[in-house]
Amino acid sequence: MTALDSRVAAPADPAPDGAPPHGRRRPARHGRDNRTAYLMIAPMVVLLAVFVMWPLVYSLYLSTFKISFYTEPEFVGLDFYQYVLESPRFWESIWVGLYYAVLTVPTGIVIALLLASFIKTLSRRAASYMKTTVYLPAVVSTVVASVLFVFMYQDDGVVNAMLGVLNHGPVNWLNDPSYALPAIAVPGIWLSFGVTTLILLAGLLDIPENYYESAQLDGAGFFQRLFRITIPLLKNVLLYLLVTGFTLAIQLFELPLIMTNGGPVDATMTPNLYIFASFRDLTPYATSFSLTASLMLFAVLGAISLVIFRLVNSDKAIDG
Amino acid sequence: MKKTVPQRIFSAVLMTLISVSVMFPLAWMAIAGFKGKTEVLRSPFQFFPQMWRWDNYSAILADPQFMRAMGVTVVGALIFTALSLTVNTLAAYAFARLEFTGKRFWWVYCLTPMFIPAMAILLTSFMVVSELGMLDTLAVLIIPGSASAAQMFFIRQFYLGFPMAVEEAALVDGATRWQIFTRVFLPQSAAPFVVMGIASYLAYWNAYVWPVLTITDPDLTQIMQFLGNFRSDRGNDWGLLMAGSTLASIPTIGLLLVFQRFIVNGVRISGIK
Repeated sequence: MTALDSRVAAPADPAPDGAPPHGRRRPARHGRDNRTAYLMIAPMVVLLAVFVMWPLVYSLYLSTFKISFYTEPEFVGLDFYQYVLESPRFWESIWVGLYYAVLTVPTGIVIALLLASFIKTLSRRAASYMKTTVYLPAVVSTVVASVLFVFMYQDDGVVNAMLGVLNHGPVNWLNDPSYALPAIAVPGIWLSFGVTTLILLAGLLDIPENYYESAQLDGAGFFQRLFRITIPLLKNVLLYLLVTGFTLAIQLFELPLIMTNGGPVDATMTPNLYIFASFRDLTPYATSFSLTASLMLFAVLGAISLVIFRLVNSDKAIDG
Repeated sequence: MKKTVPQRIFSAVLMTLISVSVMFPLAWMAIAGFKGKTEVLRSPFQFFPQMWRWDNYSAILADPQFMRAMGVTVVGALIFTALSLTVNTLAAYAFARLEFTGKRFWWVYCLTPMFIPAMAILLTSFMVVSELGMLDTLAVLIIPGSASAAQMFFIRQFYLGFPMAVEEAALVDGATRWQIFTRVFLPQSAAPFVVMGIASYLAYWNAYVWPVLTITDPDLTQIMQFLGNFRSDRGNDWGLLMAGSTLASIPTIGLLLVFQRFIVNGVRISGIK
């Protein structure tokens, strides 16, 4: 930020409002706004209390019982937490989720940033067309996309046909443990890049053009402009995309359910799919076990997100 | 900014490539709607049907339930979108700009739901809504999901980037926080509202598990529920599912066409146009 300020707010820029202090904290001279603030957060706080927090507390309570259809619930304390913690398949599924997130989140953001920068250079009409087009995959339901990609990955499918042109043997995409998850990552990125692109485009359009103009006058190249202006000023939006991207990626469910059903040898068994599978399990107390596993996933997600917040939140611009 | 000829060619090539990779699956879905029951799943992959059948499309359009489900879902989705934008934007502004007691606590409180897996509270939130007598009403589809941590977080991140100068001038002139919110922030929010609004709309539109759990009244059947039932009633007819999905995507694409124009070079909040 400081490098940017000295660069852009230099005499070359007429900065009419005196260099907007992006994200700097408001000086406390106006005092507190308790009344207004509480009125503004009240609807959200109440709705979350009734429909999210109370159910969560209730789930935590239920997870200390052994629930079965045939007998009365029996209090067992934290037994199920111990079972989940000791289950190697639960931890493997967390690693699968993390691997999937690492495969898709950074790639998705980079693709979307390139596309958004490209759309920004287009004429008005071309830009309208592209803004609608990139969003279209999000309109297709996951079920339809899964079925289509299963076809494309078949032995005699489109993907292997293209590999054949490159003189490369057919790959058994969805049945090879080392290829299955990357193969699922492709439709995963395809389904979500439109939303990410529009979010980044909205962010890019919010950066005043004169920042770039003065940088260009100072002789800054493309990469300098990218790393000194675009990325620092998109930091708020990028933090959002990282956190939501990770939480959504680890909670991936429908794609592997339809495309591979968790296989081969659990290579695509994401946490939610594992929870779902153990819910359907015929063992008694499957309900209690899967409920507890989903609460453990909540703890894992919260911890990872905390790390992301800490890492990105290196200066005080982000956090309230 | 004038473009050179190579730049124009490059843009055109890139646009074509992106269009093809995006449109191909959509076109496949629409065309698969003309295929017979199991022809969709036939291997090797075929793009066009052996014979173009209209019966999938006409069967769905002839069902009065379909148009009713579309109508009910559009209405529900629009109310849901409006309600969630209102609730989440109010909180977003408070967290971006106001200083208040306990802000840190409420911030963590409002953000936490983002990390709660749906599975963890599916059963217990069902118990809550049935206890409240909300089953089989539109309210059960609209109200529980309207407070969204992710949406609030996004709008707040956007507001953080708004310059302080105008606000401070307005405060000095004696404007209240509320006036600043409605006259300075809201008019500048079209782009984030459209991005988040479409996401809300789609989330409502594509919801399946929640409506199946909470709605049994045929008059309130949601579109994804309808498609699911329609397919299973006719023994996993994939051609029918593809035709239905194609028809169901039309309103969303229409909305997208109308609203994309709000994501444009914004007038900066600085107030200097």
